[in-house]
Amino acid sequence: MNLTSPLFFAFLAATIVAFHISESLSYRRFVLGTANVIFISSYLTDFTQALPLLAFLLLGYACVSILYVRKSPAILASGIVAVLAFYIFLKRFSFFEALGHLPFPYLSIGLSYILFRILHVMIDVRSGDLVERISPLAFFRYTCNFLCFVSGPIQRYQDYNVTDGKELVPLDPSKVYEAFTRIATGYVKFAVIAATAQYIFLYLNQPLLQATALPPAKLCLIYATAASLYTIYLYFNFSGYMDIVIGIGSLLGQSLPENFDKPFSARSFLEFWQRWHMTLSQWFKFYLFNPLLMFLMSCFPAPALTSYLGILAFFITFLVMGVWHGTTAVFVIYGLLMGAGASINKLWQIACLERLGKKRYRALSQSAIYIYFARGLTIGYFVLALTCLWVTEPSQLNSLVIRLGVTGVLGAFILLGAVFAMVSLVTDFISERIAAPISLSAIRDGIIVRNLTLAGKMMAIFAVTSLFHKAPDFVYKAF
Amino acid sequence: MRYILRQTALTLLSFFFLYLLVAGASFIVFPNPPSNGPRDFQAADNTIYMTVPKYVFLGRGVLDSSDPKVILVGASNTGVGFRQNLIQSRLSCAKVSNLGMGGANISEVGQVIDLVHEVQSDDDRRSNTFVIGIWFGMFVDSELKYADADRNRGETDIDIERYRYGFYRRTPNGPAAVLPPKWLDAGVTFLRPFLLIEKLARQARTGINWLVTGRGSAQRTDAEREIAVMSEEEKHKALDYWEESMGHKSGISAAQVELLKQTIDKLLLSGEKVVIVDLPIPAWHRDASPYESSYREALKDLLQQFGNRPNFTALSMDDLDGNLDYSDEVHAKRHLAEVWSIRLANVLDSFLCQDKPEKQRQVTLQSLKPASAGSKN
Repeated sequence: MNLTSPLFFAFLAATIVAFHISESLSYRRFVLGTANVIFISSYLTDFTQALPLLAFLLLGYACVSILYVRKSPAILASGIVAVLAFYIFLKRFSFFEALGHLPFPYLSIGLSYILFRILHVMIDVRSGDLVERISPLAFFRYTCNFLCFVSGPIQRYQDYNVTDGKELVPLDPSKVYEAFTRIATGYVKFAVIAATAQYIFLYLNQPLLQATALPPAKLCLIYATAASLYTIYLYFNFSGYMDIVIGIGSLLGQSLPENFDKPFSARSFLEFWQRWHMTLSQWFKFYLFNPLLMFLMSCFPAPALTSYLGILAFFITFLVMGVWHGTTAVFVIYGLLMGAGASINKLWQIACLERLGKKRYRALSQSAIYIYFARGLTIGYFVLALTCLWVTEPSQLNSLVIRLGVTGVLGAFILLGAVFAMVSLVTDFISERIAAPISLSAIRDGIIVRNLTLAGKMMAIFAVTSLFHKAPDFVYKAF
Repeated sequence: MRYILRQTALTLLSFFFLYLLVAGASFIVFPNPPSNGPRDFQAADNTIYMTVPKYVFLGRGVLDSSDPKVILVGASNTGVGFRQNLIQSRLSCAKVSNLGMGGANISEVGQVIDLVHEVQSDDDRRSNTFVIGIWFGMFVDSELKYADADRNRGETDIDIERYRYGFYRRTPNGPAAVLPPKWLDAGVTFLRPFLLIEKLARQARTGINWLVTGRGSAQRTDAEREIAVMSEEEKHKALDYWEESMGHKSGISAAQVELLKQTIDKLLLSGEKVVIVDLPIPAWHRDASPYESSYREALKDLLQQFGNRPNFTALSMDDLDGNLDYSDEVHAKRHLAEVWSIRLANVLDSFLCQDKPEKQRQVTLQSLKPASAGSKN
């Protein structure tokens, strides 16, 4: 079900109405479970297409159930290996072609996010962080929540369970208006801003991928522009999706976690990842980085090595996080770039602290020049690394890099960094000085203007969506 | 629940208010043109519809009449090469509409004809004369022709317009109408506010283009086309482009040839008239193209098949192949377009208006030499 289709809006209206008809907990859970089944079924043309997903869920539930009975590290490790192996098999990673594949088409959307939820439950059950037994239906509602099925966010079971079918904070007119606004804003980001950026990106992308002969400076400029547009597209597409599902979730009593926190205001690569796809970063922090660092520290207990072990742990974590994004060799490059970015950033912090000391380093990192320079550097690097998400064929990436050359890549990096630092500076300058007069604020917050604004957003969404030839789709659905 | 319903009502009410406001503005800025008249669909840019495919899809209701009609279909060279006003001024017995569509292949031409039929009764169809402008560049399969990144592969511009506003939906068997064709005008009226917003968005884009590049669009004006002369490099690029577009090193799509035959046959069987126009291209392009010979073969075969059928005729203008008369490898300059238009008007006048529409014609390529009107440039 495409989240911009009339069918989805009808489905949504029916689900919300059905959910609020009764306050009975079991009834509401039944409504949510049924909604999940209907939502997933909309991607199927044949029941057999859902069998691998069902098998994946059953395997996950079996592992969780065994771990409830025996909290053994060996069982956890075996369970993780089994679930991961099945996931890799179903996702058909190009490095594991030898594993073969199922001889029929099947649903693979949502598998990545289900994997994170299953692993989290297994690990938390084993560690004792999750004591409460999860029923099969609750497990299904949690892993296949239709709001998070396609592209997350990755919510912890403990947080999901608090609101599963319940309405902890009763709705009032203001909360409902906020939910409607959040949904409309999400669709504006997704269907207007991201779709426009994608349209221009696809136009610029062609001469880059089709190896059209271009003068070096022009090639560099087109590449930098295309890469920036892809980043804009990715951010507004994904954060728009988050606004939509968080808004809808609040109408269904769910409190979904935020996934973005002004990522482009980050002052370093590591801070950027604390603000971008936050639930994924946190998942990797809890379930990969922390255990890995602990393990490394247990192997190399010397305190002087701790910082450097952190760098290694960062590198491995970001490498895995990058590889997760896709199934071809290009995503390994993406992972390496992410890992290198995080490690260099950490190394820089350690070096600065050692050389300048805490006080002078803090003073340096608070100076305006440093902040905008660091922002430019961070975003420039991230934008370039994202190339791996839109040039997914290794031969194409190789050809593009050869055509650009070292000068072209460096030129694009410097250009992107400089432009972003300037834009950031100007935006901060303007936003700090512009504030609506109090009299205007009163009008703006009045019921008529508020609702006309909401309606205006809807009108813009309809008009712009019909301008494009293809209905927009959520980019993270592919990951 | 009541808060959700209240907010839904408020939002819908506000939306309806804005909708009426913009709808009102759309009628002031772009009032509905008088119905039942001929329309120059090539002037789409000056209308609320903005593009020819949109104008053809949404504005075709005007063709729902029993008056004799001449409907030109084909690709951009039909659109540019035949001037609706010039043909109309020389043809008193029928109303002329030019539905030539940029980048059309034979499949899309068939879709345009289907769209026209949708809004007409069986009786009204008999008053149609379809002028189908063809050249080898139109004989490309849709899967190859329509493969841009911003569309679903194989979907023509007409398909895009069908799905854009939900008037049709995709099915495994192709587009299925959601809105019955008889409700087309009501649907278009409903869409007016969105069309106006789209129009404004496009105007804004034109404004940005003016600021950035000093011109509104990449399309050349008639005056610019009139003085254009292709360099040798541009000719090479054009040949490369067509080699890539056609999908084969030589030879046109047999499926598209077959589709054209089926389309003509269907039109003739339903009592409509058909004029096939073999559109000329500049001599350099014709002589260098590897597709010309198979196109000629297909055309000869087609004329042999239909040449003896009543209500069918053909026009060839292969003497109009002067290299300097074309602004590029396909499109006639204004002065040549006037000659094309006059020649077509004369053929149509003789075919439709001289009280001998049912005459039998032996149509062969040899007999298709230019009529008396029009001078070679």
